[in-house]
Amino acid sequence: MTLPSFRRTKPEAPGVHAERLWSFRPQSDREAGDAVVSNFMLHWFPAKISKASMAWNYSFWLGTVSGALFFLTILSGLPLLFLYVPSVERAYQSVKDIEFVITFGSWIRAVHRISAHLMVIVVALHLIRVFVTGAYKNGVGRGQQRELNWVIGVVMFLVTLFLSFTGYLLPWDQLAFWAVTVGTNIASSIPAIGPAVRELMIGGRNIEQATLIRFYVLHVVFLPAGLGVLFAYHMWRVRKDGGLARSDAASVVEQPRTTDAVPTKTYTLLGVARGTAPTVTTRTLEAANTTVNAIPDLTRRAAIAILGTIAIVSIMSVFIASPLEEPANALITPNPAKAPWYFLWLQEIVTDTTIRLGSFTLNGAFVGGVILPGVLIGLLTFWPWIDRSPHLAAGVWLPRERRRQNLVFLVLILGVLALTFVGMAMRGPYWHLYWPWEAWPEIPGRI
Amino acid sequence: MSDNKQPSDRRDFLLKLGAGAGVAAIGVQAAASLRSLVPNVSYDAPTTVKLGPPSDFPDGLKFLPDERVLVFRDGNTFHAISAVCTHLGCTVRAEALPNPQTTDAAGTTLRLTHRFLCPCHGSQYKGDGTNVSGPAPKPLAWFRLMLAPDDGQLVIDLADEVGRDFRLTLG
Amino acid sequence: MEKRTSSPYPRLDRLVLAIVGVVLVVGTALFMWSDRAHDWRYYQLEFKQLVAEKFGEDKAAVLPSGVRQIWASDLSRADRCVTCHQAVSYKGFEQAEHPYRTHPVEPLKLHPVEAFGCTSCHGGQGWAIDTAAAHGEVAHWEEPLLSRSLGETYTLAGNKNALMQMNCNTCHRYDRETKGADAINLAKRLVNEKGCRACHVVNGYGGTIGPDLTNVGEKAPEQYDLSRLSGQRTAFAWHVSHFKDPRGMTEGTVMPNFNFSTEQAQSLAMLMLSWQRRDVPARFVSGTPRTDPRNADELKAEAAMKTGPGGWFVQTGCFVCHSIAALGVKSPAQIGPDLSNAVEDVQSRFGLTIDAFLANPTGTMSVVLSRQIILTPEQKQVAIQKLREAFAEYQRQRGTPAAPAKEK
Repeated sequence: MTLPSFRRTKPEAPGVHAERLWSFRPQSDREAGDAVVSNFMLHWFPAKISKASMAWNYSFWLGTVSGALFFLTILSGLPLLFLYVPSVERAYQSVKDIEFVITFGSWIRAVHRISAHLMVIVVALHLIRVFVTGAYKNGVGRGQQRELNWVIGVVMFLVTLFLSFTGYLLPWDQLAFWAVTVGTNIASSIPAIGPAVRELMIGGRNIEQATLIRFYVLHVVFLPAGLGVLFAYHMWRVRKDGGLARSDAASVVEQPRTTDAVPTKTYTLLGVARGTAPTVTTRTLEAANTTVNAIPDLTRRAAIAILGTIAIVSIMSVFIASPLEEPANALITPNPAKAPWYFLWLQEIVTDTTIRLGSFTLNGAFVGGVILPGVLIGLLTFWPWIDRSPHLAAGVWLPRERRRQNLVFLVLILGVLALTFVGMAMRGPYWHLYWPWEAWPEIPGRI
Repeated sequence: MSDNKQPSDRRDFLLKLGAGAGVAAIGVQAAASLRSLVPNVSYDAPTTVKLGPPSDFPDGLKFLPDERVLVFRDGNTFHAISAVCTHLGCTVRAEALPNPQTTDAAGTTLRLTHRFLCPCHGSQYKGDGTNVSGPAPKPLAWFRLMLAPDDGQLVIDLADEVGRDFRLTLG
Repeated sequence: MEKRTSSPYPRLDRLVLAIVGVVLVVGTALFMWSDRAHDWRYYQLEFKQLVAEKFGEDKAAVLPSGVRQIWASDLSRADRCVTCHQAVSYKGFEQAEHPYRTHPVEPLKLHPVEAFGCTSCHGGQGWAIDTAAAHGEVAHWEEPLLSRSLGETYTLAGNKNALMQMNCNTCHRYDRETKGADAINLAKRLVNEKGCRACHVVNGYGGTIGPDLTNVGEKAPEQYDLSRLSGQRTAFAWHVSHFKDPRGMTEGTVMPNFNFSTEQAQSLAMLMLSWQRRDVPARFVSGTPRTDPRNADELKAEAAMKTGPGGWFVQTGCFVCHSIAALGVKSPAQIGPDLSNAVEDVQSRFGLTIDAFLANPTGTMSVVLSRQIILTPEQKQVAIQKLREAFAEYQRQRGTPAAPAKEK
């Protein structure tokens, strides 16, 4: 497939690009490099990518999948912006309309919900992968700041959770209302500033119209914009740090040997200016047998990951319906009232940690909702500086030098998963424990 | 990798299939999102409105303020004229003529007992809705009248304009 | 020849990309199909065929299609029942089976569908367009369709269709008796006869021994103690059992057993569930005054005026300004002169007969008769005749013999 040729005559100088548009099938390394530089969408890719970075079984392309899911939530959210009404009198009805009378409405809502839930899961998996491979560590390059990128990543994860939390309230049904009640009550147990934080989040003392519009604006404007900015910075840092941590390792492992000096970079402005330019010779990192052209190989794989994500989410959305419970009623608490699944581990801890020392009682919400997650998130965020393992351990799956920290980390993750499972499948009315196969007492109806 | 015919064909095909299918599917999904913005049900006031049984309408005219329409009855014949001035939308007022007139309305005879005056900018209309003076650019609209099949009420269709020869005759 | 790095990826990746592309197309086709797979399309097709068979093709051709809704804005109800139940306002299908049955005409005369919607009387989930969801037979919808079959599930003694009357009581709560709501009427009579107010607050006043029942229908089902209830676990079932045997359902209660029959207990249970605060505009509530109240004497006088000899002047509206004392018509405003002696009064004021005056009124009357009270020539004749009758009566009352006829 060739596009209509706007080819000029042969380029007269290095860095002058022959074609106005990029080529899908560059016939040479130079054309491949041209494609990267002359294209807005692709300019943030490197011209060449190490084969180590391309591997499916290193990163599982989880970062790309997270980005695709974010992209999907935005795209599915756009029609929902027109269809949903953020008013307590009309929100529930507008969601019912989306489910029933809007053409493709229930599918669009399902795509939005499923990609949001999957995004939480995939971002968490991405975080786990980065931790376990030690990719938050700097390698052999100069001026790398992978720790900073890790911190940005943790912040992005928290923003993702908050995006999910704010979106959860919008249908204004019993599930939404009480999940947010539970969540904001946990926030209010922060000492000294807790109730003020809660009032600021809620826009008052009770969850009402002010809360709804606040969460709506956060969900639709500020959090996606913030996440977008962080995403751009996150990708920029990856490029600045020389790519994935694994490519660092690949460059170190091989015996450095001299190759012919290969001009690999021009330092003219995007290669537009004419004239000769200093060329950089390199030894091993970009040797021919360890890298491939980003166009088309990286773009092809990225297309597989992104289109694959869209395909899976599209199909799941046909079969998995989005829930909508009774309209929100401040006077009737559902039994049991549960936080969204990604906070269920917190709710579990909150209900289990109430410390009594004689006559002194420590609020479980404080211990389990603020201290414990605060400590864990703090450790997670600052771990790159606490980690003392050598930088050869970066970019490697389960290296021996980091065995202990990986073990502790995975045990904690497993704990969180176990608590989440208990909260999802084993807590019934009055928060009593039930086996997953045990039936709950039947909830009576009106008539 | 040599560039002979067969692998190139297969390469071409797979590339076309993958990218083409992807683009087509994304395009359809985008179109579906746009289709979702076309409403299927209307929350507007319905345009076909039941006005009441014919016995509620006296000979002469009856003004219905909610629908902004004037319903005329002459024996068993009904017609309805919009009371919305065609200039800027004020509601016109009916004024009885000192003597009734007969006029030709699109080929049929029509007995006129009133004329219409708009209080906002002074447009004037004949009894059949024709604009005769003032800034009104068009005559007053005539609407279709029907009888409801279930309870026999008079029904007006505010979205269905008819000519000045329209009459609903009972019986 | 420019340098070109070889790559091991294209071979497999191209194939995977192609497969992903195909899966994406399949997924897209799937969701487009899922939008078409709804019950209502089938029901609309069926109905079209029924109409074509019964009334001809041309009638079938103008049937509306697609999702249809009735938006009762005052009650905030968007009811899409008419998408499948297209025969509701279509004469001729009174004996057909649902959803192709015509709605009985009588109830709709006083409760037009455009103002009330469907679900405000029938229950169910008006927003839905699939059968089970629309009939409220899904999780998280607490108002099921109050249908005959639900009545059969509860083996209602008496009319199996009676459950709907719970919704009648939303607006008819303060009526003593509502036509067509026999079960509710029975229950209200029982409340009065059995003296529930001795112990309970009912409709705002009563005793305090038992709980306040004013809004008992709002009590959440989870708040009932169903431990002694056998059979269906619903608030309705609890009330029925409780009315039949208070001590059996509630520990330590002092409520006596009134020996209600099943029908009485079920009617009372319906009444209980209907006692909720519902947001309906005042004009929907039966018994809301629609004008300033009048006492019994005023009402009697008004009835006499309307049906008496001067009734014509009341009907046309003349009485708003004019009394016609001779015919028993008293004007509330009395702006114009009494018309009992209009025959001679018009003559003396304007020098005209009443015929001439009505043909060419002057002053206020010209405004009124051209804009407000528009009389056809026939009506004017009636007016003249009645004014003459009034004058005759006026003279009779004053004991004056009739003057010799001078007018034409």
